[in-house]
Amino acid sequence: MERGYWIRSKPVYSALVWQQQANAHLVLVEGSAGGLAAMKLFQQMLPQQSITVIYETEAGGADYTAALKKVVPDDLQVFNSHDAAMKALEAHLPEALMGLRIYVAGSEKFMWDIAQIVLHYGVDDADIAKELTGTLARSVYCVHCKAITHNAHTNIQACSGCGKKLFVRDHFSRRLGAYMGLMVDAEDPGQIPEIEEIYP
Amino acid sequence: MSHINVKVAAIEQVTDLIKHFTFVREDGQPFPVFSGGSHVVVSMNINGRIQRNAYSLMGNPEETEAYHISVRRQEKSRGGSVHMHDALKVGDSLQITFPVNLFALEKRARKHLLIAGGIGITPFMSQIADLERNKANYELHYAYRAPEHGAFSKEIKANIGNKLITYVESEGGVLNLRNLLSKQPLGTHVYVCGPGPMVVAMIETARTLGWPENHIHSEQFTAPPSGESFKIKLTKSALEIVVPPEMSMLEAMEAAGVDAPYLCRGGACGRCELEVVCTDGNLLHHDHYLSEAEKAAGKKIMPCVSRAKCDLLEVVL
Ligand code: FES
Repeated sequence: MERGYWIRSKPVYSALVWQQQANAHLVLVEGSAGGLAAMKLFQQMLPQQSITVIYETEAGGADYTAALKKVVPDDLQVFNSHDAAMKALEAHLPEALMGLRIYVAGSEKFMWDIAQIVLHYGVDDADIAKELTGTLARSVYCVHCKAITHNAHTNIQACSGCGKKLFVRDHFSRRLGAYMGLMVDAEDPGQIPEIEEIYP
Repeated sequence: MSHINVKVAAIEQVTDLIKHFTFVREDGQPFPVFSGGSHVVVSMNINGRIQRNAYSLMGNPEETEAYHISVRRQEKSRGGSVHMHDALKVGDSLQITFPVNLFALEKRARKHLLIAGGIGITPFMSQIADLERNKANYELHYAYRAPEHGAFSKEIKANIGNKLITYVESEGGVLNLRNLLSKQPLGTHVYVCGPGPMVVAMIETARTLGWPENHIHSEQFTAPPSGESFKIKLTKSALEIVVPPEMSMLEAMEAAGVDAPYLCRGGACGRCELEVVCTDGNLLHHDHYLSEAEKAAGKKIMPCVSRAKCDLLEVVL
């Protein structure tokens, strides 16, 4: 990475903090690290308004369900699959009211899946609090075949659609929830730089 | 700024205090279509002094034969509305600007919540035409002092039925903003136009309930307040102009032949912003555009509504 250089489209994440001005709160967390982020949030304070927590647990990781049960006063929903967690979110939104504050902690895929769902309800991703936890793995959008490959940990990733070796760029599309991937050996076929894990 | 020359085609007394003016173009051409919430600035010649006031267009945005505005008579103002009420006759000529929209509907909203107080109903008249055409989900909450002040409420009721909810103060009607704003579905955008305290109360209530800023829309044009006379110096043109008590800085500059930029003339849009070089007194900010911190810093001024209490104010123009 070039020093002092910053790509505007690359999202910046920060630790979750309760928004005091709210009508209700919705917290969505993924995996062990997400569970811990939720615990940290409840350490700050217990807001007055109603709170719903949707927790997607991670097979083999630490499970904060028991700990969260003690601190979440109203509504804790725990799921062991991503689809079920996203379905629970979809079920929550039709009745949701303005002033609902949304907090997300998890991988980028988790948070941008959520951003796309709530966008249908007129919520801008800028109004969602996002904390990156667990992994820096990226979703990569192949500019050649338009397939999205999830869980890229390396600077170069094979496209799940066309198989091309893609260089994972820092340019991020909020609409797609993915970083741009460009064929790495377009000019010099077969010339692939060293593959390194840079998104652990 | 480019203008359209218009003629007054009709004047209708809507209530004791409100008149509805219909304009047609002098050249017989169709008017440009506009978007709901747009306004035009009307220039009038009051005994040789040019005064320009912004008025919301309240007709159907797709109707191009005529433009419609409504003017509430403001006895305490500097004569613009009184001139429109007392001097303007059918057949008179006027100049208006092309429409500008500083109060546009957000297309992605799942629901539009429109809140009007008194004459603040006018920008919503064109917006509801757009909303009806797009079959959008919306409600119009309209509060006014007494039945005789409810200009257009019958006409609106006839068009939109029970999407209009009225609150008549003299009949005990109270618009409870907290109740209303706390039960709106996710993805709602709120729009308010009316007296200053109502606009402020709506914005504060929405913020307290956790509405994001980009879902809160308001339109509030302030008439330029009068004050003490002071002198301004324009650095680039090296002009010195006296701002008389009853004129705004912008008007004084225009009267001196300076082509200064503006859109709303009511301290809302920020288009007229000027950089302050120095002053030997204090700036009197009256706009809704600059932040408190910017006002305190004293480096910028909105000449359409703000003044200074000083002998000399130097600005970059
Ligand atoms: S013209 Fe809009 S703020 Fe002055």
